[in-house]
Amino acid sequence: MSIRDLLSPFTAWKYLLKNPVTIPDPLNDRPGSARYRGFHKNDNEKCIGCGTCEAICQNGAIDMLPVKGTATQEGDSGLRPRIDYGRCCWCALCVDVCMTGSLTMSNEYKWVESDPDAFRFTPGVDEKFWDNAELGYQRPEDHRLVEAKRVTMEEMDADTRINSFAEIVNGYSIEQAKLEADRCVACGICIATCPTHMAIPDYIDAVREGNYERGLKLLYETNPFSNVCGRVCTRKCESACASRHEGEPIAIRWLKRHIIDQVPFEKYREIIGEPDAPTGKKVAIIGAGPAGMTAAFDLVRMGHEVVVYEAKAAAGGMTRYGIPEYRLPYDALDRDIELIVSLGVKVHYNTRIGSDIAMAQLEQDFDAVLLAIGLQEGRQTRIPKSEHEKVYRAVDLLDKITSEEAFELPHCAVVIGGGNVAMDIARSLARMQKQQYDQVDVVVTAMEDQQHFMADADEIKEALEEGIIIRDNCGPQGCEIDESGHLIGLKTWKVLSILDENNRFAPTYDDSDETIHACDTVIEAIGQFSDTSLLGEELTEKLEWNRGRIDIDSNGRTSESWLWSAGDCVSGPDVVHAVADGHRVASSINSYISSNESSIDKQS
Amino acid sequence: MTDNTEGHISGKDKLEACSTLKEILQQATEFERTARDFYAELAPKVSKKIRYLVDELVIEEQNHYDLFIDLANDPEVAAQIKQEIITPPSNKRFSDCIQLPDLGDNPDDQTILQYALGREQAAMDQYNSLADSTPEGPLKDVFTFLAQEETEHKNELEKIYYEVVHSGGV
Repeated sequence: MSIRDLLSPFTAWKYLLKNPVTIPDPLNDRPGSARYRGFHKNDNEKCIGCGTCEAICQNGAIDMLPVKGTATQEGDSGLRPRIDYGRCCWCALCVDVCMTGSLTMSNEYKWVESDPDAFRFTPGVDEKFWDNAELGYQRPEDHRLVEAKRVTMEEMDADTRINSFAEIVNGYSIEQAKLEADRCVACGICIATCPTHMAIPDYIDAVREGNYERGLKLLYETNPFSNVCGRVCTRKCESACASRHEGEPIAIRWLKRHIIDQVPFEKYREIIGEPDAPTGKKVAIIGAGPAGMTAAFDLVRMGHEVVVYEAKAAAGGMTRYGIPEYRLPYDALDRDIELIVSLGVKVHYNTRIGSDIAMAQLEQDFDAVLLAIGLQEGRQTRIPKSEHEKVYRAVDLLDKITSEEAFELPHCAVVIGGGNVAMDIARSLARMQKQQYDQVDVVVTAMEDQQHFMADADEIKEALEEGIIIRDNCGPQGCEIDESGHLIGLKTWKVLSILDENNRFAPTYDDSDETIHACDTVIEAIGQFSDTSLLGEELTEKLEWNRGRIDIDSNGRTSESWLWSAGDCVSGPDVVHAVADGHRVASSINSYISSNESSIDKQS
Repeated sequence: MTDNTEGHISGKDKLEACSTLKEILQQATEFERTARDFYAELAPKVSKKIRYLVDELVIEEQNHYDLFIDLANDPEVAAQIKQEIITPPSNKRFSDCIQLPDLGDNPDDQTILQYALGREQAAMDQYNSLADSTPEGPLKDVFTFLAQEETEHKNELEKIYYEVVHSGGV
C-alpha cells in the first residue's frame, strides 16, 4: 500500500464546503402525467393498517410500523406502511391491493434530499410537499385484485322454512368455500377482534388448500364450540374484516362451518389429540353452557379431573335452551358436547347445586370450583296488568319449545323487545302457528326504531319474510284485559326518543299516540338475569359483588380463592365471549391447582 | 340514622295542613328523611348482590336531606319562611309517599328501583307544581331548583333501571 492510497480518502474533505451537484428542480416545470405512479400518499384516517400492501410488495419496500398518535383499536392495527424508495419499483401493486383505497400515488416524481434515510418515510404521517397533489395513480374502479362480493350462502325460502324447524342455511359447497376463501387477504385484523383469538387467516388458508383436518385442528385449538360458532357466532371478526371497506366482509363464520361439515365426527378425537396424564387434581364446574364446557375442555386436556353439574337434562346452556333449532340444529351442538365429554369430562345432568348439592360440599370436595350459570331468567316489564297468566318471558317459552314441554300456543302473540331473543321467540311461534293453525299472527313491538334494533339485520329480514309484523318505536304501557279476565292486547305509546345526550336510557313518549296491539298472549323479551340463589346466603355475603354481578378479577377469579366465575353471568350474553371466558378461567384455575396454593388453602 | 323529631303524629297528617314555606320545607325534609331511613333499614335485608342499589339510594336521600336543612338555614329563604303558598294537587301523592310501603322480605332490584322511581316522580311533580304556583322571586327559584334536583335524580334512576333490567339486552 502506497502513501497515496492512505491519503486519498482525505481528499474528499475538499468537497465539504462546495454546493451539492444534485440540485432541486433541474428540469423546471415538467409535471408527471395525470395517472403517473409517483410518490406515495396515504389517507391515515382511511388506512386500517392491514398490511396487505406490505404482503404484496415484491421488493420488500414496505414495512408496517406503529406511528405516534395512531392507536390500535378494533378493526385497525394502528400500524402504517413505511416505504423505502431505495427498494420501491413503482409497480403500484400496493395501491391496487389496498383494502380501503387509502394508499394512492401522486404524480410527483422529483424529490431531492441530501440525507438518504429521508427516502424511507411513512406517507400520510411524514408530511411531504405532494400530500395535496390532485393528480396521480389511484386504483381504477374496475381494477380489483380481490372480489368485492361474498359468495352467497344458499338458504331455504321463507315459504318452505316457515313449515318446520329445519336449519335455514345449506352451507357452502367445496367450490363455493374455496372461492370465498380466495377473497381473504390474510391480514389477520380479525384475530384481535375475535374474543377467543381464533387463527382465522390460517383456517381460511386450510379451506383454500382443501386441508380440512388442519382446519379442524386450528378451530379446536381456540374454540371447542366450533360447531356452534360456525352457525350462530356473533362474528365480531366480520365487522373488523378489511374486505368490508370496499365490499362485503369475508364470510368467516360460514367458512368455519364449512370446515366442520367436511370432517367426519369420528375423526375429531384423533385430530384433537389425547389429554395429558392425570394430575390428581379435581375441578367442579356448575353449568354446562359454552363457558363451563370450554373450561372443562381445557382442564381435562391438562390432565385434571373435571365434573360438571348441570341443572337441565342436556348440556349447552342457552345455546340449546335459548337458540331455536332452525338456527342451531341440536346435532351440531351435540357434536361439540360429545367431543368434550369423550375427553373424560363427567357431566351430572338434572343436578341443581344449592338444592341437590351444597356449594360448601363442592368447596370441600374439589380443588377449585367454576360458576358458569349463564343468564337463565327473563326480566319482566312489570307494566300494569302484566302479571296476567298469558304474559310470558321469552326464555321460558324457548325453554319449553326445546324441552318439548306442552304450552297453549297463542293464536295471536305480541312480543316486547327488539333483540335476538325477541326474534327467536317470534320466529319459533310463527313456525308453530303455521304448522298448527296454518297462519302466522305474531307482532314484535320494540322501543327502538327498526334501524337500531339489537337483533341481527339477518334476523329482522328473515322474520319479516316469514310474515312477522314489526312495529317499532312502541313503548309498552300496560296489558289490556277484558271483563272476563282475558288478555286482549298490549297498550303502547309512541317513543319519541330513547337515549339522552350521553347515550343513556331516558325515554320520552307521545302519550297521545297510543296503540292497542290486539293479542291473546304477550311475550316479554327485554333482558335476562342470573339466578344466583344457589350460592346461599352465607356465600353471597362473603363474595364481593360489582353492581349486581359477582366481582371477578381479570382471570375470572372471585374474592373467594377457590371459586371462579365465567360466561354470560359475569360478562353478558355472547357465545364466543363465553368460550373466551372459559379459556381464561381454565388457565387461571390450572395455575392455582398446579401450584401448592390450593393445598395450602385446603389446610387453612 | 333515624332523625325522628315528629313524635307519634304521622307525617301525612302534618303535610295535609301545610301552607307556608316553612311547612313546605318541613314536609320536604320529612319526605327525604323517611326515604333515607327506609333505604337504610332495607339495606341489610336485601341480598348483597343488589345492596349497592339501596346503599346508593341512602346516600342520595341523605344528600337531599342535607340540602333541605341547608335551605332552611339560608338567610334568603328564612326571610320568606312565613310566606303563604297554595298547596298544589300533587301534594296528596307527595304526602302519600311518606307512608312507607312493604316491599316484602327480600325485594329484588327491579322492585326497589320501581319504588324509588315512584318517589322521585312524586317529588318532581310536587316541586314543579309549587314552582308553577309561586310568583317570580327567590321562592320560585328555590322550588325550580328543587324540581331540577329531583328530575336529575329520577333521570339517573331511569338509566340505572334500564341498565339493570335490560342487562343482557338480548
